[in-house]
Amino acid sequence: MKRKVISALLCVAMATTLLAGCGSSSSTTTDTEAEETEETEEAEEVEETEEAEETEEAEETEATGSYAGQKIALVGKSAGNAFFEIAAATFVSTVEAEGGTVDVVYPEEATADAQIKVLDNLISQDYDAICLSANDTNALQAKLEEAMDAGIAVSSFDSAPNAESRQVFVNQAGTTAVAQALVDAVYDITDGAGQWAILSATSQASNQNAWIEAMEEIIANDDTYADLELVEIAYGDDEAQKSTDQTEALLQNYPDLEVICAPTTVGIAAAAKYLQDNGSSCKLTGLGLPSEMEAYTGDGDDYSCPYFYLWDMEGLGSLSAYATMALVNGEITGALGETFTAGDLGEFTITEADDGGTEIVLGLPLEFTPENVSEYAELY
Amino acid sequence: MAGKSGRSINNVPENPVKKMIFSWEGILVLLLIAINIFCSIFSEFYNISSLLRQMPVYLAEVFLMLGMAFILVMGEIDISVGSIVCLSATLACLVSNAGVPFPAVFLIALLVGTCCGIANALILTNFQELPPMIVTLSTQIIFRGIAEIVLGSGGSVSVTNTDGFRAIAGKVGQVPYILFLVLILAVIFAVILGKSTFGRSVYAIGTNRLTAYYSGINVQRVRFIIYTVMGTLCGLCAMFLISNSYGANTTTGENFEMDAIAMAVFGGIMSTGGKGNIAGGMISAIIIVCLRVGLGQRNVNAQVILLIIGLLLICTVGLPNLIKNARQSLKKS
Repeated sequence: MKRKVISALLCVAMATTLLAGCGSSSSTTTDTEAEETEETEEAEEVEETEEAEETEEAEETEATGSYAGQKIALVGKSAGNAFFEIAAATFVSTVEAEGGTVDVVYPEEATADAQIKVLDNLISQDYDAICLSANDTNALQAKLEEAMDAGIAVSSFDSAPNAESRQVFVNQAGTTAVAQALVDAVYDITDGAGQWAILSATSQASNQNAWIEAMEEIIANDDTYADLELVEIAYGDDEAQKSTDQTEALLQNYPDLEVICAPTTVGIAAAAKYLQDNGSSCKLTGLGLPSEMEAYTGDGDDYSCPYFYLWDMEGLGSLSAYATMALVNGEITGALGETFTAGDLGEFTITEADDGGTEIVLGLPLEFTPENVSEYAELY
Repeated sequence: MAGKSGRSINNVPENPVKKMIFSWEGILVLLLIAINIFCSIFSEFYNISSLLRQMPVYLAEVFLMLGMAFILVMGEIDISVGSIVCLSATLACLVSNAGVPFPAVFLIALLVGTCCGIANALILTNFQELPPMIVTLSTQIIFRGIAEIVLGSGGSVSVTNTDGFRAIAGKVGQVPYILFLVLILAVIFAVILGKSTFGRSVYAIGTNRLTAYYSGINVQRVRFIIYTVMGTLCGLCAMFLISNSYGANTTTGENFEMDAIAMAVFGGIMSTGGKGNIAGGMISAIIIVCLRVGLGQRNVNAQVILLIIGLLLICTVGLPNLIKNARQSLKKS
């Protein structure tokens, strides 16, 4: 008796789902788009909503560009990554300036499984494009293929899914470009000759090893750098204390050391503090965060770091936005050799990526000098 | 009819109509309808086809709920299931990458899960005075530890040959295979728990283990079987997880035990034992899936969804007590 009633109720529930689901999907689609976007943005961070609404009002009358009306989802690795959020902010403002809308969505945790749930949700909606920073290279393939089959353009920046899972990847700076910039910095600071060392993160970090390998290759293949002597590659494991200890050890073992190159934000900050506090003549360069390096960046002997590098996260967000909009528009398909214009950033060509897919390289890493470091320190 | 099932052991006979309306399953069905209406108003994309399309990711955990229901009805708990899923998934990926054909991979995953389940069962039946919570907490750490050692420094493995996993992620029309499998297993488990002698002995153990023992039920045999089957279900869950993400990592299956317990408890299966049935667990599982899909489609923050589910759960546990207290105070006055 009870069971029968329950099963009957269940059937009713299923039928209601069907009817209610279908009914409302056809009725609500007639709503004005402005209403929808406003509602969607309520779920986002307050900051973004304010920003969006301000521009939205202006855009609704002005926007006549070829990218107008696009609806794009931007998927992060997880909430709370300040670095990604800088790029996300310019991504949003770039798309909105062209008359489109962006929803920034973060998975509940920084895993591929959580990102798959987010992608499932996005595919069900009517997005024109998904741009994501992948939590795993291979895990998202099935979902992203499903998205592309459903006619959704898929692009990526910051962290790429595998070649089959995307149409195009926007690379902040090619491995060789980073290595070249760092080698040139070492060459410049040492005046072309002298001992230098690398302070890396862990010995297994794949991006670190790729840069180190590329630096070694550049030095080996170009006689210009023949007088540079790489004495040691130290590993600070991306821990402040260990990086400091390693810096100390380097200075003790090599009294003539002229430059330490630290392509890791933790390592460079720790080394910068140690060198500056001890008034060492050894200088520093590498990849670092302006906010952490502001106090150590300057000309002359009082400062340990003359200049350093990092990605141009704002440029990356903007270029990714243009690339994604061009994919939706059909201007590019992500095939090798295609070119497109990314607003003020100029013209870009799609090149082959290391993983066999295609990518768009933003260009050289951004150089932080004593002149501009305090300006960027407010950002990241 | 319901009187024949094991639930009648501690139920006072009542008016059947009244009982149906006030039964937990009845309330859940009404809640399911309410949530579906809410979701379809809340999200313009919420309909049967988007629900079916997004369902598979959440359904793998429902396998665990089926096993957990038996354990909870027995008045016990198994918090090692997430780690068993992780270990099964890891080993399945590794043997698949070693070139083992897919059906064998599937069997190996089930076998690994079953072995972990047997390990739990052996400890619990041989050292009966140990609380299941502590034993499975230890094996939770051990199983995930083994998986982490096997995975090494990288912490993740991707399957290179995805054909087999793609096949089990397939669909009949719009309905994914996994939904059929979940429903079939749910019916089988519901019949075993609700209609069989074995099921009745599970309720008996959960109600009063000592009485069950003295009435001739082989308590340790029942426990052994249930913990072993729980392990097998973990292996099954692992295979379907891989079919979503084509790989495993050290966080695979994390908190699955809590999700499974949440579904079961929300479905009216009391963690104190002796109460609840598979039907309630299944309806609550469907409610949670609908809620996650519906809210997710409007990009509601994942943490907010978890918060809502948490609130639902605390209400679930609180409501029956509240009703009971109200009834008692009515009777007194």
